[in-house]
Amino acid sequence: MGLDSLDVFLRTVRDDLGLDIAVPEGADTALGDLPGWDSLNLLRLVALLEESGHRVPVHRLLEACSLREVHTLVKEYG
Amino acid sequence: MTRGPDAGDRATVYLASTGTALPGEPVDNTALGRLLGVSEEWIDIFVGTRTRHFGWDPVTGEVRGSLADLCAEAGARAMDAAGLGPADIEFVVLATATPDTLLPTTACEVADRLGLDHLPVYQIQAGCSGAVQALDLGRTLVLGGRRAGLVLGGDVTHRFLAPRRDTARMPTEELVNHVLFGDGAGAAVLTDEPEGERIAVRSVLNSWTGRGRPPGQLLDWYGTTDRDSQRPMLAEDYKAIEEHVPALSVEILWDLLGGLGWGLDDIDFLLPPQLSERMTARIVERLPAGPAREVSCVAETGNTGNALPFLQVERLLPQFAAGNRALALCVESSRWIRAGFALEKV
Repeated sequence: MGLDSLDVFLRTVRDDLGLDIAVPEGADTALGDLPGWDSLNLLRLVALLEESGHRVPVHRLLEACSLREVHTLVKEYG
Repeated sequence: MTRGPDAGDRATVYLASTGTALPGEPVDNTALGRLLGVSEEWIDIFVGTRTRHFGWDPVTGEVRGSLADLCAEAGARAMDAAGLGPADIEFVVLATATPDTLLPTTACEVADRLGLDHLPVYQIQAGCSGAVQALDLGRTLVLGGRRAGLVLGGDVTHRFLAPRRDTARMPTEELVNHVLFGDGAGAAVLTDEPEGERIAVRSVLNSWTGRGRPPGQLLDWYGTTDRDSQRPMLAEDYKAIEEHVPALSVEILWDLLGGLGWGLDDIDFLLPPQLSERMTARIVERLPAGPAREVSCVAETGNTGNALPFLQVERLLPQFAAGNRALALCVESSRWIRAGFALEKV
């Protein structure tokens, strides 16, 4: 499953993690403002990315403030 | 054992020895991460625990040992360390949240393996406070006239954790357990006189305080009629635990000190609750400052539930000099049990 498109990435995060994310508006919502977002959901996101063949260092993910910034890291690390 | 002329205070119970058992080789965060399909970095950052032990293969899930195996090993070590044989042990109390079978009890199985017979054997169903509950009951039995007994605590995770590849879709309340827990067992011999390590159990706090409060930890089980149920087997309200356990730990500390008429300067060692390396550090930060040195094990053992206080006391022993005092704090978040104990080397 390719996550190169921001919309596909947002839908995947919404559907697989079961988080209430508006697509595409939720891309710029602060992660801390996403309903239910916490460190365990970050772990689930890490697992989701690794499943999809994307290994982004967690310390870089912690620098991201929104899902758009997470997606930028996904593309950066390939 | 016979009562000598220098017998200890009749109202005092003594801890003569400990024994512990951890299965297999330590499982590091790289291996645990592999089990969950993630890199170890998240575990390093958010949990801090470096290793844990599993009595099952973290790659295949094959179960290699039982709770009875671990408890019998720990119990035998404790009896050997106290220099006591089966004929000297007059009761067994075993605490666990994860018995091998509902019946027979794991406590009876362990008694059998240790060569014990014709004695009362109790099993306590408990979570993180079980070791303290076992100590509380064991102390009562000694005060009631028994001369020596074995108290044990242990837990195994194979029914609840397994190699998973659906980490991303696991409820967070379930997932958190995979990065916290490990397998282990511990034991202690209690005596009515100073024997072995000559440690007086000065106080035991064991108080359920969960009235009207939702559970912080759920551990369910399925039977014949509901084995296809989709209800969760395992759920931890980690946010409630993060909020309440530090405050409860402070309350337990003051309760124990107040009951004994001790102050912070009177304790040499502190055994704090062992949830995870990071969470224990947060709890310790909230405790009032004092000279006591921390004795923790969770970074190396993971959260082993009912085994933890035994693992901590075993680490305390080499440092515990005559006249030293130690305080252990324990919170069971399943339904909020405040527990702890005070030790003094005589």
